[in-house]
Amino acid sequence: MLEGSLVRLRAMEPGDLDNTYKWANDREVTLWLTSLRYPMSRKAEEQWVDAPTNSFDGVRLAIDTKDGKHIGAINLYRVNPEDRKAGLGIMIGEKDHWSNGHGTDAIKTLLSFAFDEMNLHRVWLHAFADHERAMACYLKCGFREEGRLRQEVYQDGRYYDVILMGVLQAEFAEVRNGDR
Amino acid sequence: MLEGKLTILRPLEETDLERVYKWINDREVTRYLAARYPLSRKDEANWLASGPANSFEAGVRLAIETKDGVHIGNLDLTQVRPEDRKAQMGVMIGEKDYWGAGYGTDAILTLLKFGFHDMNLNRIWLHAFDFNDRAYACYLKCGFQEEGRLRQHYYTEGRYWDSIVMAILRHEFDALHVAAEKAEAAGV
Repeated sequence: MLEGSLVRLRAMEPGDLDNTYKWANDREVTLWLTSLRYPMSRKAEEQWVDAPTNSFDGVRLAIDTKDGKHIGAINLYRVNPEDRKAGLGIMIGEKDHWSNGHGTDAIKTLLSFAFDEMNLHRVWLHAFADHERAMACYLKCGFREEGRLRQEVYQDGRYYDVILMGVLQAEFAEVRNGDR
Repeated sequence: MLEGKLTILRPLEETDLERVYKWINDREVTRYLAARYPLSRKDEANWLASGPANSFEAGVRLAIETKDGVHIGNLDLTQVRPEDRKAQMGVMIGEKDYWGAGYGTDAILTLLKFGFHDMNLNRIWLHAFDFNDRAYACYLKCGFQEEGRLRQHYYTEGRYWDSIVMAILRHEFDALHVAAEKAEAAGV
């Protein structure tokens, strides 16, 4: 259980399947997620929920509000021990909780874990160039724009650029000090 | 293939069997290792086959060869922990003629460089039996520091012995050896 100010991050359970299945098939949610291009069956979604136990090799957490409402998921993937880096992915499935600080809080909570407990040096992510809400959130969490992958993703009938962003262990320490 | 000044470190192969079998059954060698029991060729063949496919997670196990291609011993990094960025080192020179000639030191320094500069570890530690004076002196020369003593940690030859815990940190290795290498390269 990782505690933020607005959210709590916990390991996923089989009981989460109903929610994740609903979100995976909600086009408004999956529009910004390249991993969910296709309609997902319950069985396929079940395999994703039944993930291996959280470890250095990968961390996959449910995002709950402090009242215990399951609103999304956040994960670290492609964790590399020599380079001490990982990719970050996040999805807020409950649309009522967009733009209310819950995503930012979830990311900061996971970054604290990545830097303070996993001893990572760098966390990176890919963001759609047109997804302004997400980009603003990532910048607030300390991520910096590092590059633009041109026409990296095909979605909804056209190509989109993807922004590569990264944050280093020392940079996040400053963001946290700013919060205190 | 990792190159030192006197040794090279290479992966172990099935063809190393006769040598590792001889060494692991030579009491003069194994009295310094945590290895008590006679082991069969089959045991050793299994050991060779089960070896880590050298990686961060599985660890690294390498044969020590002289520059002339004589296989004189083995060493390894095990118990590798990514969050703590640490690993345990073990070393064995099986060919007794090569004791006390600098081969062990050279092999260890070569492995330390790999552990720190390629695996990005922060700490490499080991246990040494307190009756192994030659090894203790070698580890000190490589930059290991004594951290503690596990009292009566090991029983052999009819009595208990202490194990000495030693470790070297990345910044210590760089201070001792990178500086020395640079000076040598500059012809100082």
